[in-house]
Amino acid sequence: MKKRFIVFSLLIIFILSVPAFAGAPTVAVDKTVKRVLDVLRDPKLKSPAAKEIKKEKLRVIYKDMFDEMEFSRRTLTRNWKKFSPKQQEEFVNLFEQVLEKSYIDKILDYSNEKIVFYKETMIQEDKAEVQSKIVTSSKEIPIDYRMILKDGKWKVYDVVVENVSLVQNYRTQFNEILADGTPEQLLQTLRKKVKAQ
Amino acid sequence: MRYYLLLIILFMTLAAVYAPVHCVAAEPEQVPTDAVSFQPVLPVQTGDVPAKSSTQPADVVSDEYDEEDDFDYEDEPFAEERVTIADPIEPFNRVMHRVNDRMYFRLLKPVAQGYKAVVPEPARISVKNFFSNMGYPARFLSCLLQADFSGAAVETGRFAINTLWGIGGLMDPAAGEELGLRKQDTDLGQTLGVYGVGHGLYIVWPFFGPSSPRDSISLVGNQFLSPLSYFYPWYVSPGVIGIQVINATSLRIGEYESLIGAAIDPYVAMRNAYIQYRMKEVNARKAKSLLFKSSEASHPVADTTSRTEN
Repeated sequence: MKKRFIVFSLLIIFILSVPAFAGAPTVAVDKTVKRVLDVLRDPKLKSPAAKEIKKEKLRVIYKDMFDEMEFSRRTLTRNWKKFSPKQQEEFVNLFEQVLEKSYIDKILDYSNEKIVFYKETMIQEDKAEVQSKIVTSSKEIPIDYRMILKDGKWKVYDVVVENVSLVQNYRTQFNEILADGTPEQLLQTLRKKVKAQ
Repeated sequence: MRYYLLLIILFMTLAAVYAPVHCVAAEPEQVPTDAVSFQPVLPVQTGDVPAKSSTQPADVVSDEYDEEDDFDYEDEPFAEERVTIADPIEPFNRVMHRVNDRMYFRLLKPVAQGYKAVVPEPARISVKNFFSNMGYPARFLSCLLQADFSGAAVETGRFAINTLWGIGGLMDPAAGEELGLRKQDTDLGQTLGVYGVGHGLYIVWPFFGPSSPRDSISLVGNQFLSPLSYFYPWYVSPGVIGIQVINATSLRIGEYESLIGAAIDPYVAMRNAYIQYRMKEVNARKAKSLLFKSSEASHPVADTTSRTEN
């Protein structure tokens, strides 16, 4: 009798401890973040020499998590059509390098800050927003992931850091350049940026 | 008096030195295309990365999105967030942006780094708390004007608790888990925004950075409403603001760098980040206001039970 009671109460505890908000999108982001943290905390990769290996591993995770195509298209919106397929390919490629070079050091700098996922909002059938925050000793940085469901997999297409959407931010920049420039000029700017970084 | 003069002279010199240089737009120089090595897009997981189509014939890419030919992301769930701001004085703003940028890297950042090296983080957080506590009147007034009475009450509670038990505001016990009274991040510019006042135009102030006529009210109002302003003679205030700024910067080193570093056009990136940030804040305040609460429909909350099944 007593045993049964213990089993029963354990069951209840397990059921109740599943967070109410953990839908598929949150699970997807959470998994990816855990994978990133595993790489960052890996004691075998602690030495500075292993930085490149770490970067390579993170790149794999990034490709798995982000929908680069969606991301690129959204930053270009209408202008996407002005790019030839070859230019589109190059654009996706360059843009990814710009992002990687800008943010990789930030990610590698990570030192055990707490990451909390606290809310998930379904916007449409295939779109969701997962809200999280990074808690440091002096502040909290809200980071929201906007996700899209493609072929049964949730992928990130926009990241909102401290209320600023990356897609929208780049969109205004690209719009400004493309307002009186050609796609080739934008690509040129990106190439220069990648080289300078 | 000396501080004040020093700051003015410093600013004038910086402005004089950098303004003429950056008025001239840099001519884009031609970089040979073949100098760039391309990394092939290699989707790691199979299938579901659309970028894969780039290896296929050209029309596949457009076919994939054919049904959304006019799809402009206008009808997006987040479309209402698309924000723009008039920028009639862009040449001036760009110069000011440059001046501020140089000032940050050549003056503020080195000073803040030195300060960071000397003063331990808990002390710097205390200094931040102290100044934040002094911002109570402005936040309280803003909450009241926005008809966010619970916010006003929270702020008053915080001020009393933190001033009395938080050693004059050095600590923030009110935000602790037991009380959970979080700071109401609001100011007078947001208050006008809540009532529908727009930005007007974009201004980059020297020192203070991105702003607009509407939001500049906060700059003036905060200073005017801060009790600190009445405790010392006027000419000390640049020094006090200086300490405040250096302290705040020491806690945020790296943030500005990453925004600028990732940007293709840092000026446009900064302008857009500013208006996006302010708009979200105004919307968040609107949602708390008694006057606007009902009209402000938020996104439907996740129906997680039905989602996890498929």
